[in-house]
Amino acid sequence: MLRKVFRNRQSGVPGLVFLVCLSVAIAPSLMAQTAGMGTLTGRAIDASGNAVANATVTATGIDNGQVRTATTGTDGSYKVEGLPPGNYRLKFEASGLKTLEVPSTAVDGTEIALPDEKLEAGETIPAKPTPAQQDNLPNAPSSSKTEPTLADLGLSPEQTQGNAREQALLDKRTHMLKIHQRMGLITTGPLIATVIASMGAGGKSTSTASRDLHVALGSLTGDLYGITAYYAIRAPRIPGTKKRGPIKFHEAMAWIHGPGMILTPILGAIAFNQKSNGEKVHGIASAHGPVAIVTAGAFGAALLSVSVKF
Amino acid sequence: MNKRILAALLLATVPAFAGADSQWVLQQSTLTYHVSHPLHQTEGVSHAAKGKGVCHAGQCDFLIAVPVKSFDSGDSNRDLHMLQVTRGAEFPLVTVRTRLPESAAASATINADLEIQFAGQTEQYKQVPFKVDTQGGETHITGTIPATLTDFKIDPPSLLTMPVKNDIPVRVDMTWHQQ
Repeated sequence: MLRKVFRNRQSGVPGLVFLVCLSVAIAPSLMAQTAGMGTLTGRAIDASGNAVANATVTATGIDNGQVRTATTGTDGSYKVEGLPPGNYRLKFEASGLKTLEVPSTAVDGTEIALPDEKLEAGETIPAKPTPAQQDNLPNAPSSSKTEPTLADLGLSPEQTQGNAREQALLDKRTHMLKIHQRMGLITTGPLIATVIASMGAGGKSTSTASRDLHVALGSLTGDLYGITAYYAIRAPRIPGTKKRGPIKFHEAMAWIHGPGMILTPILGAIAFNQKSNGEKVHGIASAHGPVAIVTAGAFGAALLSVSVKF
Repeated sequence: MNKRILAALLLATVPAFAGADSQWVLQQSTLTYHVSHPLHQTEGVSHAAKGKGVCHAGQCDFLIAVPVKSFDSGDSNRDLHMLQVTRGAEFPLVTVRTRLPESAAASATINADLEIQFAGQTEQYKQVPFKVDTQGGETHITGTIPATLTDFKIDPPSLLTMPVKNDIPVRVDMTWHQQ
């Protein structure tokens, strides 16, 4: 089967289509990680009962600290998805209306419809103090009238006010980069196996079975690599962050192994057809091996750069 | 009559003396957290802490605040990851509150009860030892806060699926100026 597929790879394009199809086949297993998550739905209304549009609804996990946000639609409805089971603090924020906080809402793995939340006009409603804030240490300064406050320290509002949207962005970034990291590690296995299998795939005394094995492993590597790269490329960027340290080298290596991972299978497909036709590998196809080695080397260097401290 | 006026004047001056509070301002600071991982030993440093101490009736209340974003480990990727796991965008400040006797500046060591707010949690550390060195109007304080990730309900960050250790001791090096 694989031989047939790769024999038809004379243009190189069908092979890439094959890789994309494999990616699509494997991707759902990753998406399944979101299974078992809960959803909160409801509606935000004002004092007159009218829908409040464009209100930000923030669910913060009391047990796990996870933050998810949603924005109400024109009908005031919202849907906060992807919530691991647990207790959540809900915050409703809308321009010109009081911020409303719901101290605790339980979430299981299902969709839970909450009653309408009424946002009143005027100032922000302060959150209820947590039990920890109510505690009085024997020498805690809470009873002192001279206690300095954050306002005394000259901190800017940007430094003191939380940003739920940025936190949600950071959460998404970390989630995607964790998958990127895991997939990168998984890709290393078939990558090494492909390089080892290449020993029996080239040269005069190689068998068709060895070439098929090399092609199969190479295809699997390319497929897994594609998924790995997707999660790195699609991970959200955090505005105002200047890149420093090993990540710069890690990303520089991607500019080598990225194109290499595209070029290697194309050159490999040409070489495969030449060998299958009983020809000696020649022309541009003879670059398959060197390109693959550089690609694998850059991939390994990228992996090491963020794994081991030099 | 004159005695009564004199007594009244004396009594009136007492609150004025009692209200003659002194203040402390944080001049310089270096806060360093240490993270241990099987493949890495990492430190993140911040020099951005701001602090103030207000003394009244022989007791001083101190407040120190440092932006979570200000910690620099030399790797922007790691810093963003730390910011995420510590919920630094949602809770952008680490604050430390303590109360010490005014005479503490004259001691070689102090044991402070600290109330730390970080990552949306409040944790209390009892009798944390600090070395004190006072010269002129400046007091240099050094010590280590024995913080852990579980104290603040922080999921341990992981690299190559291996999580970091729970202990994240924070070295404190501060210079305070009395006003």
